[in-house]
Amino acid sequence: MLNKKLMVVALVMAFPVGAMAAGAAAPDASGGCGVGSKLFENQRGVAPQVLAMTTNGIAQQTFAVSSGTSGCSQDGVVKSNWKTSMFIDGNKTKLARDMSTGSGEALESLAKLIGIQDQHKAAFFQATKDNFSRIFAADNVTTDQVVASLKQVLASDSELAPYSNSI
Amino acid sequence: MPGRWILLLIISWLPLVVFANDNAYLHELVGQAREKNLAQRAEWLNLLHYKPYVYGTGMRSLADDPAFFNAPDGKTDAAAELEATLAVFFSTAEETDKVQNPQCRFIARYHWLKEELHFDPARLPEQPCRRFYQWRASLDPNEITLVFPAAYLNNPASMYGHTLLRIDAKDQDERTRLLAYSISYAAGTDETSGLIFAVRGLFGGYPGVFAITPYYLKVREYSDIENRDVWEYQLTLTPSEIDRLLMHTWELGPTHFDYYFFDENCAYHLLSLLEVARPGLKLTDRFRWWAIPSDTVRAVAEQSGLVKRVVYRPATATIIRRRLADMEDRQSGLARGLAERKMSAADDRLHELPLQEQARILELAYDYATYRSASGRDTTTPAQTHELLLARSRLEVPPQRPEVPVPAVRPDQGHKTSRLALGLGSRGGRRFEEIDLRPTYHDLMDDDGGYTRGAQIEFFNMRWRHYRGDDSLRLEELTPLNIVSLSPRDDFFTPVSWKINIGWTRKHFADNDEPLIFRASGGPGLAFNMPGTHEGKSVYYGYLEAALDAGKRFDRDYAVGAGPVAGWLTDISDRWRINLYARSLRYGLGEAHNARELTLEQRYSLSQQSALHLRLHRKQEFQDYRNAAEISLQYYY
Repeated sequence: MLNKKLMVVALVMAFPVGAMAAGAAAPDASGGCGVGSKLFENQRGVAPQVLAMTTNGIAQQTFAVSSGTSGCSQDGVVKSNWKTSMFIDGNKTKLARDMSTGSGEALESLAKLIGIQDQHKAAFFQATKDNFSRIFAADNVTTDQVVASLKQVLASDSELAPYSNSI
Repeated sequence: MPGRWILLLIISWLPLVVFANDNAYLHELVGQAREKNLAQRAEWLNLLHYKPYVYGTGMRSLADDPAFFNAPDGKTDAAAELEATLAVFFSTAEETDKVQNPQCRFIARYHWLKEELHFDPARLPEQPCRRFYQWRASLDPNEITLVFPAAYLNNPASMYGHTLLRIDAKDQDERTRLLAYSISYAAGTDETSGLIFAVRGLFGGYPGVFAITPYYLKVREYSDIENRDVWEYQLTLTPSEIDRLLMHTWELGPTHFDYYFFDENCAYHLLSLLEVARPGLKLTDRFRWWAIPSDTVRAVAEQSGLVKRVVYRPATATIIRRRLADMEDRQSGLARGLAERKMSAADDRLHELPLQEQARILELAYDYATYRSASGRDTTTPAQTHELLLARSRLEVPPQRPEVPVPAVRPDQGHKTSRLALGLGSRGGRRFEEIDLRPTYHDLMDDDGGYTRGAQIEFFNMRWRHYRGDDSLRLEELTPLNIVSLSPRDDFFTPVSWKINIGWTRKHFADNDEPLIFRASGGPGLAFNMPGTHEGKSVYYGYLEAALDAGKRFDRDYAVGAGPVAGWLTDISDRWRINLYARSLRYGLGEAHNARELTLEQRYSLSQQSALHLRLHRKQEFQDYRNAAEISLQYYY
């Protein structure tokens, strides 16, 4: 126990400023599904670095195991009707990057969630790249807008039209 | 709070009261369990997290939540807990969204006891446990992967890092691993002050809980935001082992453990999950005091046949460095100009290049812009990065993402984290022998294989010395904390290096006395790669250091000083590293004096776990200069 106390003193001396400035990512107040984007609002600069050393992360109530129903999750697992939109919400920047080159694991994962079959994957990737300016029409598109425009893009593509209802 | 406790007690006792007297089958089961001595079996002890006391005899469960136990003295009495658990399994309570039937609440215990005692479903009906099976079905488990994010740039403390388990689904592959779930163990709190969190976390002030999180959120946290390379160890757990692991995770879900940063941390608890999954694994025994994540990874990798495959995932910053290495300066300059908004994506300097080069530059510019924004130096607006992506999407060129070579040494293959050194030397004409013990973890002179270059973190380093002719060994140094970050700057990455050192050391006073004094020192610095070198293989650096010395020997008991440190850290070969530095501190407050030193350190690796260390040293404190030379043999264990 002595060692632990010494360490606390040492750590607090070492990182007073950082520690004060640190803010843990608070759980989404609404308990809803905006988790993906809300989670990281405070994760910039010194704060996450200090947190990373002092903790092994802070548990989000939403993802607590066997906790019953909470917003968009059941016992910690995202409900199936939320899966795609929550994925898009949590990976918007990555998806934008991937769609700009028509490749990448975020885009692969999205294809999987929508249920795109292997023979249609290349077309799907190409369609997102060709229509990047429609899907990410502005720098600050919302998740809903991305979902809506992606639906339209798929619907207007003869090969991919059947998938437009699976988003 | 007390109300809840009483309720819990009543709930856990009810079935006992109801059934204990008239349930013949329960009596039979208890008899069999006693006969087979089930309560002392490793499986049961693991499921309840019983651990022997470090001091003294007997054991107790690490779980601190009364609801985790069915017997009132379940925390310390494994047999009573087993019998009480059998009793509650007779409950016929209906499952609701918040309350479970005990068979489901303790589903791993139920299945183990059912197997061992061959429950008769006619006399002990099995509950459907719909919530658990639904949960398991949505996870669709196929494989378990141990995930270890390495330390990140300019934060040696993050070497202490995290580990987590990933549940890979049946229809998931390497490309869609983002869709997996991760099991992590974390402090459950809404506390938003980092300082309070740190202090309370260390003392076990927060309950630790298991959480199951979409893996993409973890990847975003580690790989994208914190810029840590991630190592994924795919394990060979069989379907029934995975089942046990999930059942036990479920059981632990609502249970809290006091959370200690140092020992009962995430790494420790994840190992205990693996012990439940595969009976016979002994992973946690060696971690009574320290559970360093990289050591826990090592413990897993050392188990024969437990690791199937290791996958390396480079962080965004690593990919940027790779892109830069493949690019000419003029092109990377354009990428930087784009990322820093000094030029637009419509610029002619970009458009006159071949399409493929344009694509490479735009991709690098985007990666770099998001890196800057994630690291807090946000000068790039979303509109700017959006313009880069838009321009990139218009180029009909395949993706230009580079293949990042996998580091030759994995985190589980580097030097071990404790180090013992035995040395011989001479100082000011006096010969001495020395013993140096570093409980943990890595310093700038150690081989970096499996570690992050330029990141030093040591806890409780101790050094004793015996001078020829003296009767006793004397403590030279005790350093509870010693962190150095040495991060070279370049056009793209501009970290500020820093160091902090807190402990007790000997100081040579004007009257030749050398008492032990307390010292806290540290400061910011800058480091640069030597021209023509990269990846920190040869770095020159300077720090501005401040020091507070305190002790009875000083006038007014203290001295505060400041001054520069300058040095050069370079690899001569894979085995041979040198660090040459000079320091000059002027103590102006308290007792005024000067302290200067010039040091040449050399390390030559003899093997993965041993090295020869040579130190030449010229030092002045107060008046006299003294020379010292020391050679030591270092052994990692």
